[in-house]
Amino acid sequence: MIAIQPLWASAVSARPGRRRIVLGIRMAALPTTLAAVCLLAMAGVSRPVAAEPSSDELKQLSVEELMDIQVTSVARHPERLLQAPSAIQVITQEDIRRSGATSIAEALRLANNLEVAQKNAHDWAISARGFNTALANKLLVMIDGRTVYTPLYSGVFWDVQDYLLEDIDRIEVISGPGGTLWGANAVNGVINIITKSAADTKGVYAEAGGGNQLEEFGGARYGGTLTSDVDFRVYGKYFDRGAEEFANGASAADSWHQARGGFRIDSQSSPRDNLSLHGDFYDGHENVDTGGAAQTSGGNVVGHWTHLFSDRSDLSLQSYYDRTHLSDPIPAFLLGALSLAPAGTLQDDLTTFDTDFQHRFTLGQRHHIVWGLGYRFTHDVVRNAPALGFFPTTLDQNLFSAFLQDEILLSNQWSVIVGSKVEHNDYTGFEVEPNVRLEWNFTAGQTLWSAISRAARTPSRIDRDLSEPASSALIILEGGRDFGPEYVTAYELGYRGEIASRITGSISTFYNVYDDVRSTGFTPGTIVPLYFQNNLEGHTYGVELSGNYQVLENWSLHAGYDLLEETLHVKPGQFDLNNALNETADPKHQVSIRSALNLPREVELDATLRWVDDLHINNGATSATVPSYFELGARLAWRIVTGLELSVAGQNLLHAEHPEYGFPGPNRIEIGRSVYGKIAWRY
Amino acid sequence: MALLRIPAGLLWLLLAAALVAGTTRAATAPSEYQVKAVFLFNFAQFVDWPAEAFPRPDAPFVIGVLGDDPFGHQLDEVVRGETVNKRPLVVERYHSVAEIRDCNILFIGSTESGRLDQILTALKGRSILTVGDADPAGQRGIMIRLVNQNNRIRLRIDVAAAKAGNLTISSKLLRPAEIVGAGQG
Repeated sequence: MIAIQPLWASAVSARPGRRRIVLGIRMAALPTTLAAVCLLAMAGVSRPVAAEPSSDELKQLSVEELMDIQVTSVARHPERLLQAPSAIQVITQEDIRRSGATSIAEALRLANNLEVAQKNAHDWAISARGFNTALANKLLVMIDGRTVYTPLYSGVFWDVQDYLLEDIDRIEVISGPGGTLWGANAVNGVINIITKSAADTKGVYAEAGGGNQLEEFGGARYGGTLTSDVDFRVYGKYFDRGAEEFANGASAADSWHQARGGFRIDSQSSPRDNLSLHGDFYDGHENVDTGGAAQTSGGNVVGHWTHLFSDRSDLSLQSYYDRTHLSDPIPAFLLGALSLAPAGTLQDDLTTFDTDFQHRFTLGQRHHIVWGLGYRFTHDVVRNAPALGFFPTTLDQNLFSAFLQDEILLSNQWSVIVGSKVEHNDYTGFEVEPNVRLEWNFTAGQTLWSAISRAARTPSRIDRDLSEPASSALIILEGGRDFGPEYVTAYELGYRGEIASRITGSISTFYNVYDDVRSTGFTPGTIVPLYFQNNLEGHTYGVELSGNYQVLENWSLHAGYDLLEETLHVKPGQFDLNNALNETADPKHQVSIRSALNLPREVELDATLRWVDDLHINNGATSATVPSYFELGARLAWRIVTGLELSVAGQNLLHAEHPEYGFPGPNRIEIGRSVYGKIAWRY
Repeated sequence: MALLRIPAGLLWLLLAAALVAGTTRAATAPSEYQVKAVFLFNFAQFVDWPAEAFPRPDAPFVIGVLGDDPFGHQLDEVVRGETVNKRPLVVERYHSVAEIRDCNILFIGSTESGRLDQILTALKGRSILTVGDADPAGQRGIMIRLVNQNNRIRLRIDVAAAKAGNLTISSKLLRPAEIVGAGQG
């Protein structure tokens, strides 16, 4: 960091003129803009860039000028449909910044209704309401409307989902079936990552830093205006992370680095039309503890158009194209001392084309109707490793979906939402996923809600097409040709509201009934190949509590608690090799307390203490546990001058290393204490 | 903790960013409700209330917020130390329409949209300028709507509703606004 000091100095002194505040006023309104700027300058505005204008400044403006000012909608009420009666928690940009999170996966620790466990330097297990196995598969994750799960196992490769965190507007986390509107796979939860509009990211942002685990990182964004109606930004991000350690103290040799970049263009061609075009690419290299290195790369382009017919009706259309490449070293398949297949590399190239249409309108005074259609085409090409493969190696799949939902205002306080989604997938045909939700706003700002919904987790390639090993006369485990969807029926009851003048909170409770959950059967006579079946059923129940307490104007506390009880069993008369133990790996209790304190002289002090209960992990011959643990994260930041911020952040501070996941043994990777320093500059 | 290292590539990135920064101006937008709070303050100046709207000659000018308050501290900040026709401006917050006594401008929060008809009926005949956000169900008798259209605030004014409340809206507000409701014909 010392090395860059002279650079900053020269950059600052080379800047011509005095910096001053400029509101986001359109160039088209140049005369009034000039007037406004002059006014602000006359008002003696020495507040430097990147600060919001003060109310006194705004009061100087005429009505027309006020109408020309671009506003950020940070405080804007989330769209009602997203806010719909459900267990939703929102991670704001400020939450992310203050937490010291350096990746999307780390930021998700801020959602109380998620289980987040770091497996090694680059891999994470993340789930809602249980089933957080190594192949967790019941979550729908979207970044700006683009679904980011892999059809290989219906899960998410968290190592390649990232963004310049500064430009994320918010992350909405819904636990429970997402309801009608969301895409496929919203079984136990939905994570919706929303980046800022290009209109809200004008100017320069740059950050850089390093530490013991996160050895070096940097990111930058530049945003501006192309024409009076078109805003854009470009960004880049890079990091280099060190290796974690095995339980015996040896290096896990899982260090990695990744670079990514992208652009976003937002255009308002008329007051009624918004057009957005954005794209990203990434490239990474990940050393793997079992030897060798994985290569990951990918990119996407997304186009989104919304048209407002009137206050009562709007339409949106979105299409995207996405490619991902994975090259993953697979160790030899050993059966005792016998090697069935040598080590090799699995390659996967996935191409996705997706298009979605949605129309919302109001019918009479009481009905808010949304309906939509979607189509997704995936082209998946696998090059099998000797020890692990998929057959067929090339697979094209089509997913059609349609949905209809009506929100009915029954009275001033009561509303009901009825809707259903219908999907058609190539494996199992039609799936119907209905839900009904009731909302009661019994006083201003207090809501009770309840919902019954049904969702399906349709088969993924691993369920149907797996072959382990891939090139051997003897196959040990393979996909089940008749493997069908897993189903959940969820009963939910929740409360959300302002409990006292400075306390808000929410309680969500659920009782989920699962059917046809994955099990492993054997071939009569020969025992192998073992193959996947749907022989499990059971239920889960739980409570998710979260609360915010604004203790003082400059100090707030946030607390969260989760209870989860899972009961899965083999259906009567049927069989599972793993005795219903292999689909869950979850703590029964989770607690977290977060404090955000603003100190004088532009200093911020934040800390988060979390406790995670024992996690029963059964991904082996016997049942075992990851022991419960307390961990602490903290961040101290100081804004030296406006726009320039120095911070020090620590993660997992209480232990030199602790495991969060994995079967016990010398090869279990533990997560080390991480401390880094960062310099951030906004102009 | 290892020494902090900055890779060479990163230096270039920062240098490039610094150079670009020298040639451009950054813009930071105010929040939606900060601007809306300033609009409420402007309404106090550009709308004429009848004398009987105030219980005493020295009574304060009251801006009320009904239901969930989206402004936070912004509204209080905007009116702090301000006067309208020598009346000090004050902010009051109400949980229900029954709590409203002397009020001149009433911002009706979006949480109230379900019982809007009830609220407007209760306020009928009183000289209270009703203000709200955009509502998918349309205007429905609120005098001024503050509509966020693509991150800019637009005014939608129902002149007839204001007239029924014995309020006169200045042309300074009417000119840039969209006129809706019965006032249109």
